[in-house]
Amino acid sequence: MPKALPLKGIRVVNFGWVWAGPVAGQTLGFLGAEVLKVESNARIDLTRSLPPFAEGEAGPNRSLSNHACWAGNGSVSLNLKKPEAIELVKQLIAESDVVIENFGPGVMDQLGLNYEELCKVKSDIVMFSMPAAGLYGPMKAVRTYGLSLTSTTGLDSLVGYKGGGPIPVENAYSDPFAGIFGAFAILTALNHRDQSGAGQHVDFSQQEAIMQMIGPAYMDYAFNGRSGGPKSNEHPLASAAPHGVFPCAGEDRWISIAVSSDEEWSALVGAMGDPEWAKRADFASLDDRLKNIDALHTEIGTWTQASDDRELADALQAAGVAAAPVLNVADLLTDPHYKARETFIEVTHPLGFKETIYGAYVKTSRTEACVNPGPVIGQDNDRVFKEIMGMPDERYQDLIAQEVIY
Amino acid sequence: MAGALAGMKLIDFGQMVSAPYCAKLFSDYGADVIKVELPDGDAARKSGPFPKDEPHPEKSGLYFCMNSNKRGITLDVSQERGRELFLELVKWADGLIENNLPKQMETWGLTYEVLAEANPDLVMISITPFGQTGPYSGWNAYDLNAYHLSGASSRYCGRPGEMPLEHGTFAADYFGAVAGSTWGLASIYGRENAGGGQHVDVSSAECIAATFVGGQNIGGYAQDGKFDKRTGVGMPLGAPATIVPCKDGHVWMLALEPGQWNGLRKVMGDPEWADLDLFQDMYMRAQNADVIYPFIQEWTMQHNKMEIMEKCQAAGCPITAVFTIEEAAEQPHLKERDYIVELEHPVLGSVRNLGAPFKLPASPGGPSQAAPLLGQHNAEVYQEVLGLSAPAIEQLHTDGII
Repeated sequence: MPKALPLKGIRVVNFGWVWAGPVAGQTLGFLGAEVLKVESNARIDLTRSLPPFAEGEAGPNRSLSNHACWAGNGSVSLNLKKPEAIELVKQLIAESDVVIENFGPGVMDQLGLNYEELCKVKSDIVMFSMPAAGLYGPMKAVRTYGLSLTSTTGLDSLVGYKGGGPIPVENAYSDPFAGIFGAFAILTALNHRDQSGAGQHVDFSQQEAIMQMIGPAYMDYAFNGRSGGPKSNEHPLASAAPHGVFPCAGEDRWISIAVSSDEEWSALVGAMGDPEWAKRADFASLDDRLKNIDALHTEIGTWTQASDDRELADALQAAGVAAAPVLNVADLLTDPHYKARETFIEVTHPLGFKETIYGAYVKTSRTEACVNPGPVIGQDNDRVFKEIMGMPDERYQDLIAQEVIY
Repeated sequence: MAGALAGMKLIDFGQMVSAPYCAKLFSDYGADVIKVELPDGDAARKSGPFPKDEPHPEKSGLYFCMNSNKRGITLDVSQERGRELFLELVKWADGLIENNLPKQMETWGLTYEVLAEANPDLVMISITPFGQTGPYSGWNAYDLNAYHLSGASSRYCGRPGEMPLEHGTFAADYFGAVAGSTWGLASIYGRENAGGGQHVDVSSAECIAATFVGGQNIGGYAQDGKFDKRTGVGMPLGAPATIVPCKDGHVWMLALEPGQWNGLRKVMGDPEWADLDLFQDMYMRAQNADVIYPFIQEWTMQHNKMEIMEKCQAAGCPITAVFTIEEAAEQPHLKERDYIVELEHPVLGSVRNLGAPFKLPASPGGPSQAAPLLGQHNAEVYQEVLGLSAPAIEQLHTDGII
């Protein structure tokens, strides 16, 4: 039997925009679902206008970051300001399994595409909504950006240098995290549909999904009333020392070193050449090392600073110590590990230029992920309107002329 | 109402965060998850946080929050009889979730090849810092090493010239866990399409390097050879867009678009400095960051974070308070959404926990049973799932296998 991708046969209509929604679609697409992003030249997604552009030429189908984050989604162009477009998208939903949206609460209502309306055209539809703070509750209309939403989860309060205030993370970790997490939520609802025959409207609050990441700090609050704060790179639960990032030779070169057991500590001390300071009682047990962690980190930093980060990581790993270089963006492309795993791949965009995007960020042994570059706005129109919806060519051309399909 | 994943059967053979959290997503949405611990127990049991900081293997907060809705058994897979029992359990399961280093699974004789021979339909989800293949797959590593290998810290987190920072939690472990749960569930759900089980190989570092850092940076670098590094400021190209201190903590100050900026000006009481030409668009404000941030801070330092958030939100600015853990946990919004749940635990008593990460109205999920005590379900699982008699189970105890 030929192997098909796990989600073959699942069709997804994706209203997701910017980042999180498209990543949810991308993940399902990589796994074999047919994902059709609904977008329009009448209101071009802002991420399609982000530089750098392919070959330096600006255009809505040439943003390199947009392509990487959206690859795996197809595209159908419909101008949703026109009532006919709403009817057409409903016809498409009638032939689909899942609808994704990451607008604010109420927008799908205004479009006449709320869950009740969708159920009328497809009774067991799985509708997946991922607003910032959920579909109900006093803060449901909160205005945030992906990168600041984390501030409402407590997570931002934990990031920063020890003893200082919070340092902002400069991009929305929460977007790809919530996008991939959202795909999991959709799959649970599909599984439930297959078992029970019933669809449902998934309320995926990005705030709540991201807040899962503060679990360990939350437990300290639940038990001991403590709120925690920034502690550089120290272990979140103070159960490893040393646990940090140390300077190496060269500009902005660093190595991460984490030691959680006494065996690892002995290995590190050995690799450092049994220095006198490491024999002090201050560093004898894990408790001692935690108590004196600032002094410990200073000593280790003094030892690491003249070494090459990669050579040092190799030497420490040979001794059994968890150590790895701290990579920058440029390193990602040349790093032997990511090369071996084909994390980044060069693809040919439908418009003919070459670009580098990420491929299957998880490896599966039986099936090979389907990574389609793009999409070009409206690239799937022909197939969707004519083949899936059976529209005669004359009407199709009419709708294009009227800028309904646009 | 049955959970969305009712009927699905999985083994959690992980420790600490990544694999246990991945398995918890299955158990919290209704799957039958059996957690297999070595006789010493999951390392999380030693990790805390503990009530009053008093270590106790049944009182770890980390273990408590990672292992809800699971049944727990002990099994020493390093003994031959233990290994045989593990393979019997694998025959029962749809999925196995683990985060041991590849060489450890090899030492135990529990590689994917061996498990797939026992159960060709098994989906094995392995979540490690660096994955099952590639030159670093044999490396010893933890969350910290994975996060910093992803490019995320160098690019996005920390001040220039100072050390790059982790994300304040087990950020790589969580990311890997979520990626593993999604790709793993798809592999179980679509097993008929695929023609059997498979090995789902997750490198936490790679997931972040690809989807978070690579997505926005790698295409440009590959083409133009240019790349950026962390600046310590939320958004260096526009302003205001960063975390600033206020009277009782910090706020995420964001006013980029003209409507947002005008809203902020109004809330600040239309100060004269805001009329200056050099502050008229977000790019100019960013170029004059060293002038504008002190002005804004002078105002924020006179006000509380909630007051700033409420007034600015009402004026159309996406400004939010930087909540402490306590403030995040106690916010009325999450109370109304029943996000925090309370679980009865035989040793800890009644303890609060974070609830379901998403709401499924037709098949509710979330933690309802507290994490198992070490070996709590040995009798039940070995009898019902593996069909062993009471004396046989007793013998396993005597032999130190369970």
